Amino acid sequence: MDKLYIVVIAFFLNFSFADNNITFSSCKTLDSNETCKDDILPPDTNSSNFEEEFGDTNKSATFDPFEKYNRVMTSFNDKLYVNVLDPVARGYSNTVPEGGRVAVSNFIKNIYYPVRFSNNVLQFKFKNATKETGRFIVNSTFGILGFFDPAKTNLGWEESNEDFGQTLGFYGLPEGPHIVWPFIGPSNLRDTFGIVGDTYLNPLSNTKYHSINYKIPQNRLQEAGIYSYEKLNQTSLHLGEYESIKKDAIDLYPFLRDAYTQNRIEKIKE
Amino acid sequence: MKNIIKLAIMALLLSMPAFAFKQNDIESGMKSKIDKVLVVLKKKESNTQKGQQIISVMDPVFDYNLMSKLSLGSNTWSSLSPNQQKEFMKLFVAKLKQSYIDKLDLYHNQIVVYKGVKPYQNGRLQLQTELSGKGETYKINYNFYNNNGNWLIYDVVLDGVSIVQTYRQQFAGILKEKNFDQLLVQLKTKK
Repeated sequence: MDKLYIVVIAFFLNFSFADNNITFSSCKTLDSNETCKDDILPPDTNSSNFEEEFGDTNKSATFDPFEKYNRVMTSFNDKLYVNVLDPVARGYSNTVPEGGRVAVSNFIKNIYYPVRFSNNVLQFKFKNATKETGRFIVNSTFGILGFFDPAKTNLGWEESNEDFGQTLGFYGLPEGPHIVWPFIGPSNLRDTFGIVGDTYLNPLSNTKYHSINYKIPQNRLQEAGIYSYEKLNQTSLHLGEYESIKKDAIDLYPFLRDAYTQNRIEKIKE
Repeated sequence: MKNIIKLAIMALLLSMPAFAFKQNDIESGMKSKIDKVLVVLKKKESNTQKGQQIISVMDPVFDYNLMSKLSLGSNTWSSLSPNQQKEFMKLFVAKLKQSYIDKLDLYHNQIVVYKGVKPYQNGRLQLQTELSGKGETYKINYNFYNNNGNWLIYDVVLDGVSIVQTYRQQFAGILKEKNFDQLLVQLKTKK
């Protein structure tokens, strides 16, 4: 009986040693793997290292000249979402099955092809631009006018979302002050120029005399109608997300502002 | 005989893997934890019940202490009394957990894709994952730091948005106009 316990102890001790061995040997064989280079990194509990990563709390929040207006507009957009967009989108999602709404979303996305293509080219992402063209051809034909996305589901060609704001950021234009637009939501000066640029390329917008021939809406009213429907359809596919995100905020405006800013930085880096 | 049993139990306890991960176990360890979370998510229970189970799976790898400190900023943190620090941590961690539980509704059978552990700032590491569903793909990255050989999470980054950073900015903004006690009140009331 005593022997058994010794065996048990030996087993566990051995187990923990063996575990260590595996750890070390697996790392040595993976020399090229960057994460393994220095197996024993010094512990960094020193918080000053971390302060560097997150930046100075005093500096970063200061440059916001439109804060007052932005706060008002944030609460306008918030009320618009909660009282109008969300209930209408819920009603719509109860009437139209999800498959149909996804198809509409695919169809609209497919029409945005010129925007994605141009911005990929402007950022020298030729491979992605080619893939976008391939996606447009496949989805417009086999995907029945873009209602389906066989390019992604069957061929694995993911879309590469690039907009003109990201292109301007790619060329080093700073973001400028944060601006919250009615209906559109958080933006900044650079991305506002971006929206203007993309509107010119977007077949679903109406730019009057300067229009490219492929424009679908013939006047502002049609344009607004299409935009509203697009927004409604999109909301119906993301019900509850905004409310859930909103709960994380202690103060809604700076929360949305910083989330937007960080997200845009990430997208420009991609 | 009794002593031997005690010894055996002690050996068992000592040889148990530490709660946090060793450097090379980050991806496999997180994978097994996330797999457990996905199993819980698919259960037909209330969100609160599921949330508690998920939190008990994930708790050991999070350094809540450091997260609280970073969210407030080291300067503010060190200006507080130990009691204030404790009080803040209690409220902040409760908020983090609650916001996580609230998000469970958003899970619709997406799959988690592991993109590997990449070097991050100052020798820290980032486990990159993607949550991929019918529509969009979300990037979820877990930032780890080395705490005496045990790697712990100090931040989670969703589509480029760092949780710690957004709280940090909010707290800094609030503290410009209000004092710390008012911040605690705001943290308490905003659910």
